Amino acid sequence: MPVVPRDRSVQLEIAGLVFQVVGATGLSLAWIKERYRPFLSRKPSQIRLHMEIQHAWPGGRPPQPRVDWENGNFEINMPACRARGSIVDKRVWLSVPPVPSALSPSLLRFLCSLLLLRQGGFLLHASGVIQSRSAWVFCGPSEAGKTTIARLAGARRVLNDETVAILRRGRGYVAYSTPFFGEGGPVMAEAQARAALKGMCFLHKAKRFTHQQLTASQAVGRAFSQVFLPKRDQTVVAAILEALADFAGRVPCYDLFFRAHPDLWEYLDGIA
Amino acid sequence: MESHSSYPCRKRVPWRLLDTEALVVDVKAGLLYPLNSVGARIWQLSDGQRSVEEIVQYLAAEFDADEKTIRQDAADFLRELRQRGLISLDDKPRPPADPGGRGPGERGPGL
Repeated sequence: MPVVPRDRSVQLEIAGLVFQVVGATGLSLAWIKERYRPFLSRKPSQIRLHMEIQHAWPGGRPPQPRVDWENGNFEINMPACRARGSIVDKRVWLSVPPVPSALSPSLLRFLCSLLLLRQGGFLLHASGVIQSRSAWVFCGPSEAGKTTIARLAGARRVLNDETVAILRRGRGYVAYSTPFFGEGGPVMAEAQARAALKGMCFLHKAKRFTHQQLTASQAVGRAFSQVFLPKRDQTVVAAILEALADFAGRVPCYDLFFRAHPDLWEYLDGIA
Repeated sequence: MESHSSYPCRKRVPWRLLDTEALVVDVKAGLLYPLNSVGARIWQLSDGQRSVEEIVQYLAAEFDADEKTIRQDAADFLRELRQRGLISLDDKPRPPADPGGRGPGERGPGL
């Protein structure tokens, strides 16, 4: 009987980015396949992620996440892991701790956000829901109501309750689901989905529904801190500003004062 | 108070003009500063080639306010920008090829 080599790589597709993860073995590989199950892909990979187990951290670990970019080479440093990559080579080396959950969502989220930024897109701290084939994105810090809104979706498809990918497509923007769910748990990241973006709301809890359309400057000001990337590198920050400015010029953005009630969807239909 | 003959010059920080307003990012502090239309205009004009007094004259021509108020507000604003490390106040004008900041038309290599 022929010996079939075990396939030790796995492919993930997140917001159109197809990663081939190599170097994961045993429990780590099984964990990746389970954690990112809805986002497993058979499409040709665009970027190879090489996982390398790091038992010790020479020079100490950084206290805060940091992203640096220079001439197509980048480095993402986090307290428990590190990614170094080259856009030209389409390869990323991940130094990760020896635990099954080594391909941590927080590292992969920064990596996706950085790679999307090259395309004028970004990962946003937001929930997203598809209503009548268009997406609404609801942005805000923790406790703003992102998961609350996702739970009000009913039969509508939820893109995510914590992290939504935003990408320019034609004259508008498209919102994508991601595997980076929040307090709503894995049920909030059950499938790959996307939809043209109808509008973005910055959430404020209130007793009744009201809204106010934002200027581009106000929208960028609010969204800036909600983009999933450390903002300590000049090149990265300039790219975030550039992407958000284009976004805010094309997608209507609102301050939304809401109460947790299914009437939300009817209210949104009335404002856009 | 800063001399009106000094030359404010933006530091190399990411910034973006949106309509008449501007957003300036202090990368070291990780902070974003929204500037209203007057602040944005002062920021734009702070290229190291115009003195504070020249900037005041621009503002007086463009905004509906008396010159004394504009002069005081501009001085206060520039002082705050300097305290936050976002501009320098130079004794001499800088050459045109040395823009101190980054914004529309002043792009770096990008990602």
